[in-house]
Amino acid sequence: MKLALTVCENRISPLFDCARMLLIVDIVDRTSTGRHFEVLHYESPFSRAAKLSDLGVKVLICGAVSDQFANIIETYGITIIPFIAGAVDEVLDAYLTVGLSDSKFRMPGC
Amino acid sequence: MKKHKLYQIPDHVTDVILESISDGVFTVDHEWRITSFNHAAEEITGIPRDEALGKHCREVFRSNMCETDCALRRTMNEGKPFVDTSTYIVNSEKRRIPVAVSTSLLKDEDGTVLGGVETFRDMSLVEELRKKLDARYQVGDMVSRSPSMHRIFTILPQVAESDSTVLIQGETGTGKELLSRAIHELSPRRGKPFITINCGAFPDTLLESELFGYKAGAFTNATKDKPGHFAVAEGGTILLDEIGDLSAAFQVRLLRVLQDRTFQPLGATKSVKADVRVIVASNKDLSKLVKSETFRQDLFYRINVVRLDLPPLRDRKEDIPMLVKHFISRLNRLRGRSVTGISQKGLALLLSHDYPGNIRELENIIEHAFVLCPDGQIESHCLPDNLRALLRGSTTHAKIDAALQSVEVQVIMDALKRNKYNRLATARDLGIHKSTLFRKIKILGIELPNLDGRTQQKRAR
Repeated sequence: MKLALTVCENRISPLFDCARMLLIVDIVDRTSTGRHFEVLHYESPFSRAAKLSDLGVKVLICGAVSDQFANIIETYGITIIPFIAGAVDEVLDAYLTVGLSDSKFRMPGC
Repeated sequence: MKKHKLYQIPDHVTDVILESISDGVFTVDHEWRITSFNHAAEEITGIPRDEALGKHCREVFRSNMCETDCALRRTMNEGKPFVDTSTYIVNSEKRRIPVAVSTSLLKDEDGTVLGGVETFRDMSLVEELRKKLDARYQVGDMVSRSPSMHRIFTILPQVAESDSTVLIQGETGTGKELLSRAIHELSPRRGKPFITINCGAFPDTLLESELFGYKAGAFTNATKDKPGHFAVAEGGTILLDEIGDLSAAFQVRLLRVLQDRTFQPLGATKSVKADVRVIVASNKDLSKLVKSETFRQDLFYRINVVRLDLPPLRDRKEDIPMLVKHFISRLNRLRGRSVTGISQKGLALLLSHDYPGNIRELENIIEHAFVLCPDGQIESHCLPDNLRALLRGSTTHAKIDAALQSVEVQVIMDALKRNKYNRLATARDLGIHKSTLFRKIKILGIELPNLDGRTQQKRAR
């Protein structure tokens, strides 16, 4: 399974709509087996969703996301875990082990 | 003279003021952690103060400029304030909220920089009003401020609501298909098919099978039934484009279909009922074709129920800035670009051209510019060679200035008429100060009637 996280200075990007970098993580049996970065350009909701789909992403972890983007991404069958904040490695570890329910990973007000 | 002693405002009053204003205000330290967050900031973002304090500002504010073009970061780096930068934030319901942001340094009494302060204003209402205002000038994918187009926009809902045949005339590239599509989308037939066929592109026999379809065995190689465009458009709308190019024989066939609302597929023995709204379009003046006896008079009267004449772009050059903006915004959306607009010189060049290809030509010019100018403003060197050649002629600058002036005169005259020559209302309508309007009226030599809007109002009383 492929997981994507939006990254900005080693933290989850504040807003998916204009995030510039994706960390793609290959996951087998809740273990990371490989990772690489992908650059996102200024793109329309359709092309961003198509890019995620082309990369084979099944789950997207991001910060805030507007419904223009979220609705289209979800129609591609990609699950979004939005409004996540924190250091990327900590978020990834938590996702693979205990999940992201801890309030420290939630953006304020979400 | 008695000197008044200046009343010193106690410190806590500043907090009261901050809490009572409608602009959101927050401050950050050097680590970008939020150190204060006023009531309006809570209201606009939907984030309670206690959740915001101590958090990284971009995880609270989450605007589209946080990651790449943070105004507060620029202020902290350059030491200068930025005022009214337009952006949007996304709240916890995934809704975009347009805001105008201003930033400045936060200093103590000694001038030591403590961090930064950001104020932001909710522009949702302004944005909503702006959209409503723009909607006055937009129908479907067509935008225009010119009075001739506005007349069409005004009657379009009634035209669409009726099921009458519509004749659209206009030069190539004036938007006949866009107008037909707008009629379809405004009509009760929206949601059903909208089919377009260019009648001038097919010989008679092929056009007949394209429009009405054929039965298996109707001719060699017709191995199975094929529905025609009329059958495919069932319940919807069909646009018969370039109808002026139809042969005399086919005009008779089409007349029968329009009269009886039935058609007969090739090789069929029975007629089929057609529940299709017909829109016809032509780049030729059909009444002239009738006079020259190349177009049947009875067919002309049958299709000339509601006629809409689209003016060429050279007759509504005041639309060029709005169209350019429209195309730039559409191409930015489609291509994921961030072109911000066009330079004054580039726009002047566009205004000095006559556009034999009309709006389609203008759209192609902007697309050409997008290839050469990926972001920032479109400069004149990004425009096609034939336009830039205009710059080289010795009289060109005079020509461009004249073009700019004539458009300016047109825009001001239209606004004056719209506001019944009330100059204050006209200035407001144009978004300029009244003294600027007076100056332009004088410089451009615009002649006004003796009565202005105010005098008319007084007389009416």
